[in-house]
Amino acid sequence: MVRRLAEWHKALIFVAALSVTVAGLYAYVQASQPPRVQPQGVRGVHLTIDGGSWRIDYAPAETTNNSAFAILMEASEAFGFPVEYVRYTIPDGVFVTAINGSRNGEGGRFWQFWVNGAYGSVAADHAAIHDGDAVLWWYTSSREGTPA
Amino acid sequence: MNARWRSAIGRAFGDRKTRTLGMLLIALGVLGKLILRDYANFETVFVASLLAGSLLGRWWTVLVPMATLAILEPILWSLGYRGYPIAVMLGLTFFVFTGFLFVGLVGRRMKPRVLFRVGSIALLTTVSVPLTIAYDLWTDVGEYYFIAQPMGLTFWDVLQMQAIFTAYHLLSSLIFVPLFGSGLLYLHSVVWRTEQPEELAEQSRQDS
Repeated sequence: MVRRLAEWHKALIFVAALSVTVAGLYAYVQASQPPRVQPQGVRGVHLTIDGGSWRIDYAPAETTNNSAFAILMEASEAFGFPVEYVRYTIPDGVFVTAINGSRNGEGGRFWQFWVNGAYGSVAADHAAIHDGDAVLWWYTSSREGTPA
Repeated sequence: MNARWRSAIGRAFGDRKTRTLGMLLIALGVLGKLILRDYANFETVFVASLLAGSLLGRWWTVLVPMATLAILEPILWSLGYRGYPIAVMLGLTFFVFTGFLFVGLVGRRMKPRVLFRVGSIALLTTVSVPLTIAYDLWTDVGEYYFIAQPMGLTFWDVLQMQAIFTAYHLLSSLIFVPLFGSGLLYLHSVVWRTEQPEELAEQSRQDS
């Protein structure tokens, strides 16, 4: 009987300690997550998609698709080329795997994006764009340099 | 099936109850990962591998992670990553296989200390923390070698990008190891108490 109570006590302490640890870790990952991009009208944005052997330029006068991913999807609808991506719930964000038939990994090249020359270090749907921004999606094997 | 074969299977995979638990762990690894596919690094292969080693031992230590990944990897690669060159897929798969095999082997080392006790669940949960970090570091090496390095990224870049994913992987381990560990330990120790090696040896002697 004494042993059983001791086990219950241990179980309670363990569950309490575990709950605190999980809650703390969850708070940390939530705080580390970049905030969602709030839809907002932006003007003069220029999108370039460079697939190596092909290139698409898109420059809407105004759009509410104000993230690096949303503007890509807008161009995809406007020009009718396919975009494939994986959407993760945790961490929240999309990972683009193919644009216009060019898939990640082929020839060691992957889809990467830059906003005003700055390398995209967050998921593309979390990368906000503003008036006059230049967005580049480049199918490349390196994050250095710029398309020819 | 003759007695010699039965005895060999018994030595390798345990009795029928142990084999059922082994199959259950493979199902847990496969189904959990597929259901949680959208939740990066929330997965059940880790807990299945750890429990295979620490509860079942024998060849299940190797068979559970290997069989689970043999089923999962082709499915996962075909769902969203099918453009990757075969060398990259095989290379990354090697790191994943050996990583989970290592988890199973560490679990096997703890088997004598794992009983249906709160202390055992706490031990498994505690061990899962450094083990998750070690697994992530190991697979980071593969990711660096096969993907990041050709892109001009350094190993430090990979570690920085991995930090948030490792935090999620730790959350996954801290939730699933005690959850499934308690359930499987209960099944193993109370509901389907498996025969001990000496009982199997006795059965083998009777057969022959």
